Amino acid sequence: MLDQPQLPVSQRTNPERSFKEEVRALRLGDGEVFRGEGILAVTKAILQAGVSYVGGYQGAPVSHLVDVLVESQDLLDELGVHLETCTNESSAAALLGASINYPIRGCVTWKSIVGTNVAADALSNLASPGVIGGALIVVGEDYGEGASVIQERAHAYALKSSVWLMDPRPSLPTIVNCTEKAFELSEATNTPVMMELRIRACHVTGEFVAKDNKPPAISRNARLAEPALHNYDRISHPPSTYAHEKIKVEVRQPAAERFIVEHGLNEFFVGDRSDLGIIVQGGITNVLMRGLDRLEVEGKIPTLVLNVTHPLVGDQIADFCRSKRAVLIVEEGAPDYIEQAIHALLRKRDIGTKIYGKDVLPMAGEYTAEVVTEGLLKFLALSANDIDLSGPRQRFEAARAGRAEAQRLLGGPLPLRPPGFCVGCPERPVFSAIKLLEREVGKVHISSDIGCHSFATLAPFNLGNSILGFGMSLAAAGAVAPVLQKRTISVMGDGGFWHNGLLSGVASSMFNRGDRVLIIMQNGYTSATGAQFIPNTAGNRRDGETTSDIAATLKAMGVKWLRTIRTYNVATMLGSLREAMNTKEGGLKVIVADGECQLARQRRIRPQIAAQLKRGERVVRTRYGVDDEVCTGDHSCIRLSGCPSLVVKPSPDPLRTDPVASVNNGCVGCGLCGEVADAAVLCPSFYKADIVQNATWWDRLVWRLRSAVIGAMAGA
Amino acid sequence: MLKSINILVGALGGDGGGVLCDWIVSAAHSQGLGVQATQIPGVAQRTGATTYYLEVMPARGPAPAVLALNPAIGEVDVALATELLEAGRMIFNGFVTPDRTTLIASTHRVLAIGERAAMGDGSFDVGRLLRAVKERSKAQILFDMDQAAEESGGVINAVLLGALAGSGKLPIGDAAFEAAIREGGKAIDTNLAAFAFGRAHARGELEQAVREHRKRQSAGQGVEDLIERARQEFPASSLDIVEEGVRRLTTYQDRRYATLYLDRLRGFDPALVRDVARHLAVRMSFEDVIRVAQAKTSAERFARVRAEVRAKPHEPVELTEHFKPGNEEIAAILPPWAARWLMARAKFHISMHIRSTTIWGFARLRFLAGLRWWRPYTHRFIEEQAEIERWLQAIRSAQSLSPDFAREIAELARLVKGYGDTYARGLGNYRRISVEIIAPALAGRLAPSKAADAVANARVAALADPEGESLSRTLAAIAA
Repeated sequence: MLDQPQLPVSQRTNPERSFKEEVRALRLGDGEVFRGEGILAVTKAILQAGVSYVGGYQGAPVSHLVDVLVESQDLLDELGVHLETCTNESSAAALLGASINYPIRGCVTWKSIVGTNVAADALSNLASPGVIGGALIVVGEDYGEGASVIQERAHAYALKSSVWLMDPRPSLPTIVNCTEKAFELSEATNTPVMMELRIRACHVTGEFVAKDNKPPAISRNARLAEPALHNYDRISHPPSTYAHEKIKVEVRQPAAERFIVEHGLNEFFVGDRSDLGIIVQGGITNVLMRGLDRLEVEGKIPTLVLNVTHPLVGDQIADFCRSKRAVLIVEEGAPDYIEQAIHALLRKRDIGTKIYGKDVLPMAGEYTAEVVTEGLLKFLALSANDIDLSGPRQRFEAARAGRAEAQRLLGGPLPLRPPGFCVGCPERPVFSAIKLLEREVGKVHISSDIGCHSFATLAPFNLGNSILGFGMSLAAAGAVAPVLQKRTISVMGDGGFWHNGLLSGVASSMFNRGDRVLIIMQNGYTSATGAQFIPNTAGNRRDGETTSDIAATLKAMGVKWLRTIRTYNVATMLGSLREAMNTKEGGLKVIVADGECQLARQRRIRPQIAAQLKRGERVVRTRYGVDDEVCTGDHSCIRLSGCPSLVVKPSPDPLRTDPVASVNNGCVGCGLCGEVADAAVLCPSFYKADIVQNATWWDRLVWRLRSAVIGAMAGA
Repeated sequence: MLKSINILVGALGGDGGGVLCDWIVSAAHSQGLGVQATQIPGVAQRTGATTYYLEVMPARGPAPAVLALNPAIGEVDVALATELLEAGRMIFNGFVTPDRTTLIASTHRVLAIGERAAMGDGSFDVGRLLRAVKERSKAQILFDMDQAAEESGGVINAVLLGALAGSGKLPIGDAAFEAAIREGGKAIDTNLAAFAFGRAHARGELEQAVREHRKRQSAGQGVEDLIERARQEFPASSLDIVEEGVRRLTTYQDRRYATLYLDRLRGFDPALVRDVARHLAVRMSFEDVIRVAQAKTSAERFARVRAEVRAKPHEPVELTEHFKPGNEEIAAILPPWAARWLMARAKFHISMHIRSTTIWGFARLRFLAGLRWWRPYTHRFIEEQAEIERWLQAIRSAQSLSPDFAREIAELARLVKGYGDTYARGLGNYRRISVEIIAPALAGRLAPSKAADAVANARVAALADPEGESLSRTLAAIAA
């Protein structure tokens, strides 16, 4: 079984990957060329803009902003910048409260739409009074291929809270300029500014000419002697809030529109045709430009690139459309806020330009190259049939026909390959145990959550009835448990627990005397996002102490039925689950499924073991295996485990055809396959091999003696 | 206006796709070429499949103001894939086209969970994949990159980079790529070795010994006379199977049991002998505790395991076997009266972890293996022989009605395999199909030709899902 050595302080950098190069890039000065990803360029830009504080909650695609700063403590100390790794997005948004009373610039970041949802209340309470120090919210728009959340647009929040929204064209110089201008726009209009970056923009590589980082005037190194005086206008409470609402539309929005024009934040791409035009969100300019190039009309159609998508500048839009016969709006996602606003704006100004948009482009879904090309073909056919598109259209149709032929040749959909649990993951055994539990008690209602454990909703486990958001699994079972005869099981990660599950789930369930079962996956990190540290991580980077213990917290909240179980003991876990489902005891029953994230653990111990081996120390390497003479190829062990290192290979038996199970060399020796074969009484094929490296003379003597005797016995 | 070279990479999480992009970007920079790369890593986690997209300018000078972030169908010049199914996926999505795309892909397969979890062989048809790869791309560089990575000691992304360099599709010299690897600073030597392997394969300078899975013959000595008898009595087409059956059953039990095997094979149409011989040998060597002990203590097993776990010659290896015998397994080697008594008792299981590399552990297993002489008197042996006789009889009587029907009855034996629940489920399905299709057909209530298809469909349905729902649906449909 796995032992758990205490984490030495020195090795507690972010286990997912090291950011040495990126940290160095943050120190570049005037005139030096920065090379890297979009999200890192934003990180450099906010240091160049002289932020006093940075916060956020990591989530794809913006995790690296905070991850890199977490490893740049010395740079932050030099600049006096305060970094806060918030426990959720609402605490991150609340951080911006500092810029209400003090002229200090702040930047927070989170994954959108889910993070923005969580942060919405603090965001509204910030936007109403407004800010005097620049406040920038960098949201990663997790939209389209590669996303892992519900598909909604952050745009809605900008509209309803009168917060300005930037959607910069994904080229590093533009992103950096927008980031720096965002602080100025925020200060010029006393309004927080959101900047959305899609997945491909966060990870686009590029370069820009850096400037020196600017130590903020007010910071940890240069503290104010006195706090701001009380000023009721800055309080989000009536009657101030009534005044705020008017100021937003009468003062701040016009100021924003002026700023956008004066600083040329939106871009114009010239085109020969004076009768046609395209208006596009900055973030999807690239796919539009390539679409025009593909149809050989690039440089023909003037294009207005909206690097700021809220507010729209009325005059700028009107002037762009007035002389044109037809204008296409390229706006990804639903609903079509920008198209609707432009229709209304032109109508009020009696401008008769024909507007195309969601009639030629899909209302929802990612604007891929294919989608945009099809939309452009329709738009140009309707509005500019004098352009001969027969060549490009024929090539486009040929590519589609070729794909259909390829799909016919391949014959049917290809096997899916969704993300899954890592080799030796501590969470996988819990779902093996649940599968075995269901053999005894029948199907169980399982409310799932966000995190690596979400992978149990996929093959081979296919467990889970709902996901209501990060940390919401226990709350989501609140109204299910009372109407089912069998108890419900909620699965929550320790990340989700600290994010909000502690309050929304545990506290609420205790207070309402809920009779439910909760499994908390205590793997020590926010693993799915990149193994960031959380309050129960064994030690954090600042002082090496663990901040809070989950079991202790639960006890303090009054949880009586509480078990902490090492996840790899499938039989013990099954026993505890059986008891939790059948006990007469009412109320909340919590199983803390304990096992360190294997990815993080392997990254930590692999160098340690390599060093031990080099020093000639005795190290036992554990690995599991399947006897291919005993396995008959039913694969029920794979259906109950699904570990990537538990694979199949052709049967060595000349008389059998079905492939047999086999363990490949990715095995880390966690023992799950052996445990599952045991707990589910599958077969006697599994063996555990302990390979003794740098064996002592005693090891070798015993081994030689045994081999001799066994050799004799085997021969007889 | 210069057009960019568009590169799409398909890879699994953990293959190092991101690092591969970094290498290409830095190599392009070092040659003063405009380059842009992006990725969507959200789903690449932990062995999921994902893609990376790069655009490289073919010559120095100003790149166009805007390079694309998304791949477009029909506009990919070079497609890289670290695994054959992922190459197939890029073709399926239309990004690899015969007019433009050079496909550089590994031919090895990493089965997706759906393929591995199937009860039989669920792997996607490799033939279709290879045919699509060859017909739907302009040029191909195909070799087993997983094997090349292993041989070079490096990681697969470095092999792929080498293959890209070797393909000559980018105006970037090898030195620039190697400099990029050095700049990365991690595992430089092994990655440079992997790079060299990949490049050599791409240029056809390196032959790759194909690793194929050889079948393992049974050892059985002293059966030359039985083999000779088999050669006279049975068609040449079935001899490879029958001889293996003889050797296997001699080791499994003894010469008399192997002789019974040959006697039982008499009286079948020549066309049926091979199938019946294969399944009969497997059924007669059913997996009781004695056979498992034999397998766990065979002389060559320890050498095989040492190789599998990659133990170095001087490294001791300790093996712990995982057993969990219960009433059924113990009753199986008791005489019938004792077995029935034990089976009537409450169900129990004893979890046993025997260290077969210790003297005492090995001795216990050796003792069990030595109970071969006792096997004919055991409950399981008697049951199995009766079941086999009924099965052979059904095939013989079906032979006269329709050879296809007879063959399907023989093939049905495939369901009877495994241990514990698996064995019970397989045998249960086998019996259900026998009662609901074979018996009525033999009694003339079902046309033999219809029965052949029915048995075949029922067998496939039985292997479709462990819960047996599709079998029930199929049997209901046949009955209707």
